[in-house]
Amino acid sequence: MSVIDEDEALIAAALAGSPHAWEKLVKRYESRVFNQGLRLMGNPSDAMDLLQEVFLGVYRNLHRFRGDAKFSSWLFRIAHNKAIDLSRRKRLLAGTPPNAEGEADPLESLSADRQQEPEISLMHSELNQRIVERLSQLPLAQRLVVELKVFQSMTFEEIADLQDISENTAKTRFYAALKKLKQTTEDEHVLS
Amino acid sequence: MSCPKTVYLLQEYFSDSLSAQAGAEFDKHLALCGECRAELDTLLLTRQELLSWQEQRVPHWDRGRELFKREHAAEPPATGWFTRWQWAPTAASFTMLCLLLLNTSVSVSGSGFEIAFGGSAERAEIDRSLATFEAQQLAEIESLIRRFEARQDSNNVQLLQAVMEQTQQSTAESLDRIYAYFEEQRLRDLQDMQFGYQQLADSDYATLRSLQELAQFVSYRESAR
Repeated sequence: MSVIDEDEALIAAALAGSPHAWEKLVKRYESRVFNQGLRLMGNPSDAMDLLQEVFLGVYRNLHRFRGDAKFSSWLFRIAHNKAIDLSRRKRLLAGTPPNAEGEADPLESLSADRQQEPEISLMHSELNQRIVERLSQLPLAQRLVVELKVFQSMTFEEIADLQDISENTAKTRFYAALKKLKQTTEDEHVLS
Repeated sequence: MSCPKTVYLLQEYFSDSLSAQAGAEFDKHLALCGECRAELDTLLLTRQELLSWQEQRVPHWDRGRELFKREHAAEPPATGWFTRWQWAPTAASFTMLCLLLLNTSVSVSGSGFEIAFGGSAERAEIDRSLATFEAQQLAEIESLIRRFEARQDSNNVQLLQAVMEQTQQSTAESLDRIYAYFEEQRLRDLQDMQFGYQQLADSDYATLRSLQELAQFVSYRESAR
């Protein structure tokens, strides 16, 4: 049985009321959603919030999933939208004005957060820590494109469709993001 | 960065829709342009560093299990006779209420039955017709009785006068004549009674016809509405 068929079988069983099927469905994707949350939100606490909101959204809308697209695509579309919502809420709670692109960015104040939230040190590896710090230098719009292109292996066409932007805009954002990341890496090397 | 093609080429490099021809031209340019080559290498290295991300384990959480169980427990599947028919008393009450509010009436006749809605005005009209009919009937009967009594009185007077005249001649003959007069009077009374009842019956038929026409009129108005 393929992954898609297994997903559909689990969805049908969950909709029929099987908690076991639901749990199995969550287990298949929770790690990807959580790690996406870590990269986008910058700390395990917010990543857990995102994880719970994503699967709550999936649970509430599971009966609407028609199987026209892959379940994973549907789920990560929800995750993408929830990440933007969560970022906006954090921005509002922090009283920080939106950035130039009008988007909330929880990682913009990552340096300050690190002093206040000990949980950021719960990152399992220094490598991950470094990646999060570099990603934190990007505006949310660019970080989302990097996440979708590099980590979710989506095409620019899919990214454009998901974010309701043109394909060229997606390419431009990705290129700009890589350039910025490259510059950050070079700056780190100079400082060290 | 002085190569004017760098930005465009590197943006397209990461595109999945790069054609074979464009790829060949891109490789050709990279072989000649060290600047674009160096830029591409650093971007690929940057991407590679991102891909060195180590998947982190998800902290323990209940995976929405409690929510799932609670919500599915709160909504048991609707099965069984009771759940299928539990709406019936409510529906019956609603139907009765509608019948009352719409003043529904059902009339059964030889050709079937008829359901009428509303009709308070029509009912009042029928009541008025019936009252008129009853009054007409009473008046006719009273008139008939008065005519009958008057005729009886007149006949009796005539009969007594005749008896008085005849009794002076012959007793046996007068008795026969009295008997004949009384018999004749009885037959005339019977004819009068028959005539009266015939008039009454004719009047009833006329009334029934008018009632029937009235009912048809009411039915026609209801269907036209």
